[in-house]
Amino acid sequence: MKRSYYLFLGIMPAAILILLFFVVPAIWGVYVSFTNMALVGKAARHLQFIGFQNYLRLFRDSAFLTSLINSIWYVIGSAILGQFLLGLGLALLLEYTDRKNIKGGNVVYGVVVLAWLTPALVSGFEWGAMYNYYYGTLNAILRMVGLQRVNWLGNFPMVAVVVANICQGTAFSVMIFNSALKTISKELYEAARIDGASYWKSIRYITLPLIKKIAVIDLISITMSTFSGFLLIMTITNGGPGMATTTLSLYAYQTAFRNFRIGFGSSISVVLLVIDLIFGLVYLKILKKDLT
Amino acid sequence: MKAKVVIIYIVFALILVYFSLPSLWLFLSAFNPKATPFIALPPSSTLLDNFATLFREYDFSIYLLNSVLVSTATMILVTLTASLAGYSLSRWHSKFKYYIIYSILLLRAIPTSATMIPIYSMMRALHLRNNYTGLILIYTAAQLPFFIWLIEEFFDTIPLEIEEAAWLDGSSYLRTLFSIVMPIAKPGIAVVSILSFKAAWSESVLVLVLIDSQRLQTIPRAFYEAAKTMGGSAIEYQYGIVAVMGLFFMLPLIIIFLIANKYFVRGMAIGAMK
Repeated sequence: MKRSYYLFLGIMPAAILILLFFVVPAIWGVYVSFTNMALVGKAARHLQFIGFQNYLRLFRDSAFLTSLINSIWYVIGSAILGQFLLGLGLALLLEYTDRKNIKGGNVVYGVVVLAWLTPALVSGFEWGAMYNYYYGTLNAILRMVGLQRVNWLGNFPMVAVVVANICQGTAFSVMIFNSALKTISKELYEAARIDGASYWKSIRYITLPLIKKIAVIDLISITMSTFSGFLLIMTITNGGPGMATTTLSLYAYQTAFRNFRIGFGSSISVVLLVIDLIFGLVYLKILKKDLT
Repeated sequence: MKAKVVIIYIVFALILVYFSLPSLWLFLSAFNPKATPFIALPPSSTLLDNFATLFREYDFSIYLLNSVLVSTATMILVTLTASLAGYSLSRWHSKFKYYIIYSILLLRAIPTSATMIPIYSMMRALHLRNNYTGLILIYTAAQLPFFIWLIEEFFDTIPLEIEEAAWLDGSSYLRTLFSIVMPIAKPGIAVVSILSFKAAWSESVLVLVLIDSQRLQTIPRAFYEAAKTMGGSAIEYQYGIVAVMGLFFMLPLIIIFLIANKYFVRGMAIGAMK
């Protein structure tokens, strides 16, 4: 038998699994989004094809728009302002202290990574305890220094979940930038220093241009994971108070599994899918040179 | 210079407090049967009480076993199918190949939040909910795109000449693959198995959606239930018990990271979109 035949056979088990249990569900989701599928009530017994009704309802649904806007704030706050800038800053700081033989950098690195290894559910549980109004660690510290308690989750819910997410997610950027910085040769900095460039100048004109591509990749990765993750928010505030911290993915989860409206939930899934695919295509466009 | 070093250590201290305070609280609470949301040292006489309670009064050993079972089965299935597919893709030369790799990478961009609802409704229609076969197949399919890509790169580094020499000696394609190529690719296969186990161990969205039978709970599911329902007001809440569960949830992830640390970073930087 021809060798290419064997190679084709080798791909098959994985291809069939991916097709049946990944691609088919995604397509199935598109189909369900055109039906009134529900687990309770009248629609549960009479599945009907209802065309674009779910989508029309979606764009008139104020909860959908609210959660979309919340998602955008959540991404800007925790991915772009938080994880990205803090991650880059921290990686630069660790590289600097390493070069100057200032001790302690690896302890900082280890602790940041430990927070990242904490599963989102556990991290949410931890931060719930930090923010607890009566007995929480943060308020206990405030009381100790003679200040009033703060109702973290009532008055600043979005800031609270953003702070928790930055704690959990920053290590990703730190690790990526850390490994990118290691590839820049020390002689470049040395040459710049001899030419009289300050530390900041060498960062601006040597480091940043060299890590531009990895920065874009990092930014897209953390934007996507922040946009799609909802377990952390679910355990800290469950989307509340009201809808103050309900992001789009949490809204999809609640619609389908709290209110049992599978059809309507699927239309939210399709919107998520389209947004994720757009991110994915942009990502691939950047990576394309590495692929071929 | 002195002032600069002082400033750096102040920044270090702030970062340490921010990133370690929650984990430190979890760790201390796990050893404290009277744990509250406030961080405090546990009394030394009752350090292991929470652990004893957890295994005596809750079915925690069953959840642990369930998690080990699901993660191990997923790991085996992923490692087998991903290695085969990765090898074949690596050796296959046609323009079709790039379309496949391209679609594999695109699939990586689809997170579970976008597929959980259709997966739920499809698995419900197929009567594969509350069923480990269904869960393992779904986990495998979700992981495969990333791991095929990862191991394909590994096989690319093994020169074809080694195989060609074996063929000339009369060794069949299959025999060459299993007795010559796979042993060389062992480090890559090890990385795939370790990371695949880790991914299945920590997966917490699909398990919420696909499993509700008490008997079939895995650690993430049991932890979620416990964190949500262990008591009414904050004072009755069994923080200590939930903290121990959290510790058991985290521990394998930390160990795995220590073993396979450098591959985490490499995989993340190039192809992972998690």
